[in-house]
Parts: sequence; C-alpha cells; structure tokens
Amino acid sequence: MAKEPEDEEGGEFADFLADVSKEVADAVELLGPANVPAEEPEPKKTPVVAAERKKTPATTDSGIIVEWPNIADRLIEEVR
Amino acid sequence: MSVVNYGTREITCKIVYYGPGRSGKTTNLQHVYSQLPEERRGKMVSLATETDRTLFFDFLPLDLGTISGFATRFQLYTVPGQVYYAATRKLVLQGVDGVVFVADSQSRQLAENIESLQDLHANLADEGFDPRTIPLVMQYNKRDLPPGEISPVEDLDETLNFRGVPHYSASAVNGKGVFETLRSISTLVLARLSAPAAKGS
Repeated sequence: MAKEPEDEEGGEFADFLADVSKEVADAVELLGPANVPAEEPEPKKTPVVAAERKKTPATTDSGIIVEWPNIADRLIEEVR
Repeated sequence: MSVVNYGTREITCKIVYYGPGRSGKTTNLQHVYSQLPEERRGKMVSLATETDRTLFFDFLPLDLGTISGFATRFQLYTVPGQVYYAATRKLVLQGVDGVVFVADSQSRQLAENIESLQDLHANLADEGFDPRTIPLVMQYNKRDLPPGEISPVEDLDETLNFRGVPHYSASAVNGKGVFETLRSISTLVLARLSAPAAKGS
C-alpha cells in the first residue's frame, strides 16, 4: 500500500514541485506570448437551409418507415 | 494536448502510465496521491474490479498551483494493462504529452512487457503520434522482489529501451523511484513544450 504523506515541508512532492516550477518558468519564458502562434479564427458557419435539413425517412421494401430523422418530420407524417 | 494558454494563463499536460497488467501503474499514482499536501489533494478517480485490477483507467489531476503566473496542471492517467482492454488504452492515449512505461521486472513477465510496449507503439501511431519522438521514460518496477525472481536492469534496458530514454529502478509499493520517474517525464514534456520557441530564437 502507498505510504502516508510526509509531515515535514520538504516532502517528495515539495521537491518535485520545486524542480518542475523551474522547468515551467523556463518554458513560459522561452515561449512568451510573441512565440505562441495565434489561434486561427473559427470558420463562419453557414446557416442550414430548411430544405437541406429535411430528410425523407428511410423505408423498408414494404413501405414501412423505419427511421425518422427528427421529431418534426414524424409529427408531420402523423398529422397527414 | 499540452496547452499553454495565454488567454486563461493555464498550462495543462497529460501524462499516461502504460505497461502490462499488474506492473504497478496504479500503485505509482497512489503513491503520488499519498504524498500530496492536503490543500492540493483533488480526487483520484480509480475504477477497479473486485480483484483490484484497473477496469477502465485511473485519473489523478495534479494541481501544481500558479507558476510564473500560470495555473499549472498535470493530468496523470493509467491504462488497464490487460490485453482485452485495447480500445480503452487507445482512448486514454488521445492527446497524450508524455508516457511512463511501467515494466514488471519479474523475469517471467518479460514477454508481457514486450507485448505491451509493442501495443503502446501501435496505439501511438494509430493516434497520430511518432512513437520514436514522444517523451517517454522507462520504469523498471518491483525491484524489491528477490534477485532470483527479477531480471537485471541491464537486461531489461537492452530488451525494452531501444530508444535509450531515461530509465529508473523502482519499488512503487514502497514509494521508491516514483517521483524520480514523474520528475523525469515532466521535464521531458516541458522541454518539448518550449522546444519550437527555443529553436526559433
């Protein structure tokens, strides 16, 4: 089983943190905001045209609808 | 996935402990967790079977606090070592920044170590990583077992460490070699993080 945490300040984690802090500080300094590539803006989303959105439900050979692309389509079919 | 975000001033790195079943990956994380001071202890997520074998993965978020103005977090994961959890291993490797390969030093486990290492390479390649360059550290665990039961470190290194990466002897169950390994992989990951900038300057 794993050991209990050490009581004194200079435990294993503290030593690890001290070492890693230096590495992180170096990395941050080397990178610097100027060296970080700017994020590319997200491409604008083209609105989906209603006609494109509507899909015909898939049918089996016997004509029974087995897949309903969305609830609206299903409601329209039920109302008919 | 390693991120330095100047907007939110955050650094996040993902480290995965890989290796065959029962090699001591979860024990490594348990030891790290046990050494965390109370105020830094988050939750270690661990999903295990009744026999204590990792079912899905272990996850230990390591909040290092604010360093040079950046909130720094390491995320430590393990993978389930058993052969039949291949899909999970692949999933956990997504966005990995560094890998610790935990090898079982027992002589009779050598074939399992080799198989797991090959599995690691295949999965890294599948996820779009170059297995020859991703930060990697080898840990030869269970060095506390009787000498007659374990392979010499030199033999393990010759068989498994063909990249010549840093390697550490460990007895994770006693906490030996755990932080040395973590420190080493952290250094490699952070060095890689700033490498493009250093090259360009």
